[in-house]
Amino acid sequence: MGNFIGKAVKRREDARFLKGAGKYTDDIKLPKMTQSAFVRSPYAHAKVLSVDISEAEKADGVVAIFTGSDGCGEYGVPCGWQVDFKNGETMREPKHPLLVKDKIKHVGEAVAFVIAETLEQARDAAELVEVEYEELPVVTDPQKAMDKDAPLVHGEWKDNAAFDWCIGNDRADVEAALEKAHHVTEMEYRNQRLAPNAMEPRSYIADYDVNADKYTLYTSTQNPHLIRLLMCAFVLGIPEHKVRIVSKDVGGGFGSKIYHYTEEALLTWASKQIGRPVKWTSDRSEAFLTDAHGRDHVVKSKMGFDKEGKIVAHLTDEYCAMGAYLSTFAPAVPTYLHGTLFQGVYTTPLIHLNVVGPFTHTVPVDAYRGAGRPEATYLLERIISKGAQEMGMDAAEIRMKNFIPPFDGVKEEGYQTQVALQYDSGNYQQALKKGLEKLGYENFRKEQEEARKNGKLLGVGLSTYIEGCGIAPSAVVGALGARAGLYEVGQVRVQPTGKVSVFTGAHSHGQGHETVFAQFVADKLGIDMADVEIEHGDTDQVAFGMGTYGSRSLAVGGSAIIKSIEKILDKGAKIAAHKLEAAEGDLEYASGKWTVKGTDKSVSFGDVALTAYVPHNYPEGLEPGLDFSSFYDPSNFTYPFGTHIAVVEVDKDTGAVDLQRFIAIDDVGNIMNPMIVDGQIHGGVAQGVGQALLEEVVYDESGQMITGSYMDYAMPRADDLPMIETDNTVTPCPHNPLGVKGAGEAGAIGSTPAVVNAVVDALAHLGVTDIQMPLKPQTVWKAMQN
Amino acid sequence: MKINGNYTLNVTPKNFWQMVMDPEVLEKVTPGIKELKEQSPDNYEAISEVKVGPVRGNFKGNLSIKDKVEEERCTLVVDQKSKMGNVVAEIVMTLAPTGDSQTEVKYTGEAKMSGTLASMGQRIMSGVVSTLSKQFFKSMEAEIAERQA
Repeated sequence: MGNFIGKAVKRREDARFLKGAGKYTDDIKLPKMTQSAFVRSPYAHAKVLSVDISEAEKADGVVAIFTGSDGCGEYGVPCGWQVDFKNGETMREPKHPLLVKDKIKHVGEAVAFVIAETLEQARDAAELVEVEYEELPVVTDPQKAMDKDAPLVHGEWKDNAAFDWCIGNDRADVEAALEKAHHVTEMEYRNQRLAPNAMEPRSYIADYDVNADKYTLYTSTQNPHLIRLLMCAFVLGIPEHKVRIVSKDVGGGFGSKIYHYTEEALLTWASKQIGRPVKWTSDRSEAFLTDAHGRDHVVKSKMGFDKEGKIVAHLTDEYCAMGAYLSTFAPAVPTYLHGTLFQGVYTTPLIHLNVVGPFTHTVPVDAYRGAGRPEATYLLERIISKGAQEMGMDAAEIRMKNFIPPFDGVKEEGYQTQVALQYDSGNYQQALKKGLEKLGYENFRKEQEEARKNGKLLGVGLSTYIEGCGIAPSAVVGALGARAGLYEVGQVRVQPTGKVSVFTGAHSHGQGHETVFAQFVADKLGIDMADVEIEHGDTDQVAFGMGTYGSRSLAVGGSAIIKSIEKILDKGAKIAAHKLEAAEGDLEYASGKWTVKGTDKSVSFGDVALTAYVPHNYPEGLEPGLDFSSFYDPSNFTYPFGTHIAVVEVDKDTGAVDLQRFIAIDDVGNIMNPMIVDGQIHGGVAQGVGQALLEEVVYDESGQMITGSYMDYAMPRADDLPMIETDNTVTPCPHNPLGVKGAGEAGAIGSTPAVVNAVVDALAHLGVTDIQMPLKPQTVWKAMQN
Repeated sequence: MKINGNYTLNVTPKNFWQMVMDPEVLEKVTPGIKELKEQSPDNYEAISEVKVGPVRGNFKGNLSIKDKVEEERCTLVVDQKSKMGNVVAEIVMTLAPTGDSQTEVKYTGEAKMSGTLASMGQRIMSGVVSTLSKQFFKSMEAEIAERQA
């Protein structure tokens, strides 16, 4: 333990955020910058018969108008993950154009791009673009998309499947075990579609410098280097070293800013055409229509139990919407980020999951906080609770019975699942026990009984989740279809005065990297936090990086920085030994200085740094400077886990759900900053509760999104949430230097089934065993009446 | 979106029918209509401006009348485009004599919306349609009163 690791150090970035002084892309104004607007399709599926820009071109202030016929980015935006059919057929990958020329495939797709001197002029001119459409039949439901007579989203293939994939044990073996099971619990439901709703909408400025022949793209992305690679190599065919991506302050992402969006490439292309910078910022309506959505799984599942309540087999079939095109990580989300978590925290011996990923006439679906793991957790935690309910068992007891025994990954080996992964370390019993104690479980059951007598409907819901984070060992994800490595880069530059600049390929869009990373860097170097600056989000500053998602920043990005710190200290020791005229082996490093063991002879970190840059009296053969960059490729994923418990009261007359308590016991490995971990859990829980109770993207049968505003799409608000009671157990990750597992997604993963389990528990005596999310009062009330 | 309702007017079905089939009357009584050009019998090009609460926009498109059974029923086909999205509707209107030379007009149909109208306006559009229908019949009533005066 040093001075900063494990302390609730206040976030240094908040000084600017709380003053409204953050610098987001939309805050940037470049000289001669133009503004832009898109002409977007009001139809979900239509032929584009004609696009007439003649009137619009004459409008005030118009600089240029581009359509699909202007040859912008003719290859379209690529998909970053290949998930093939189980029969060996290659994943079906449609071209995703920057501007549509022939055929619209979802509402909101762009047909024309209008650039003008001011935003108002761009929007006015966009209204003058006349587009003639011929409407075509539409399918928006992923299961219906696989019907024989379903309208085809892409004409190239005989049906709408992008892939049909499976994982786990042999299906026949799982089916046979279910046949013989003492009890089989079944569930059929929809894990509803969600809109990610980052506070800052997507915003881009592209600036082509004709004299340098260089492009700069300011973008609200979670992974600047990945965007540069995808855009340069696959979409625009421009050399990567001619492009700089800047992504400094970004106001939330939740996954929706991972992907390479068509607008990023189009603006970059257009800036060169007009020879001026061009800006576009999505408005909230456009965000609903064009940001990649989350979830949208249609699920049919069976879990078999023996007499004692031990799980004997689990079989699930899912239809998981891809939307109209394959977004960057879309195919991985319902497959390798989902099926690989079907073991949960249980010893289930036989598991089989089949996933069909159909195209639908909707905006693409991709990762959204948790990405595949909330969907897996929802299924497992609901079905085990439903199983307990049907067999008359206690929800806590059935979990304890099925938990994988504790293992630390050092003395005891990691746990090999039936679904490809090996868990690193876990103690699921401890987290549940801690949660139940915090709640006062026994007492609550008595209270619930009493309340029922008085006509009050109280319920408690448990969720004992696990997730795979710290994405990911490159060789493993490569074998699973990733078209990128998922290592991270960390550079530590000690300045001549001993101050430290750290360049990380991880990206902060609200998480607090500038604070947490500085905490452990300062401690590992034994210097003050004020002497450490964390830089991210600029491809000209940071050597390379894979960005932030899958709770990977600290586990992977932090580890890369640790590797560089080790190199700094190794080289520093050589310089110190020279200065102290001692053998390197006789030195020890602590509190910012090298000391000859057993003496008071020492030299400080600052002295060594200065010597490295002013190498007058210097070890022979040693390079000057103190600046190291490292790539860290993890040897495994990390597996945070925990127990979430919700207590609800359901209004017996209206069906309204009042979330009264929420207990989150999360094991995220070693904790660098408990305040930031709590903050991450709070935010995640709010989003998970949002899915359970409020949120849902609805498309009508003609493919119109009828929940495209905050009047129609219900976001969770402060008064929907109780004070969240957080606590932790600590089971260090055995395979990364900080022993951390990641905390970014846990809240959104564990919370949703806890809330739904609680509502079902409140209504269990009425015979209610399942309710479809979101648990709107009307839905709950109806369930109570049946 | 379903559209239906009814209204009783102080006019015989015969006279009401004549009025509805008269483009001049239609142009006068239909709320927001700025221009109604007859393209062919029962086929009009319509330009209108709708302003109801947050729903504001200029619409342009076709309006046609089909399946006519004189003094009894007809179907109104609306296909209007605007920057906030498009509306396609088919509304069946039936007339029944009632009371003392009165006509009960029943209308029922369905409207499909697209674009912003659908994603943001759908929730309030039924209210908008009912306001517009009321305005239509009120103006019709005024027109009838004027003619009877």
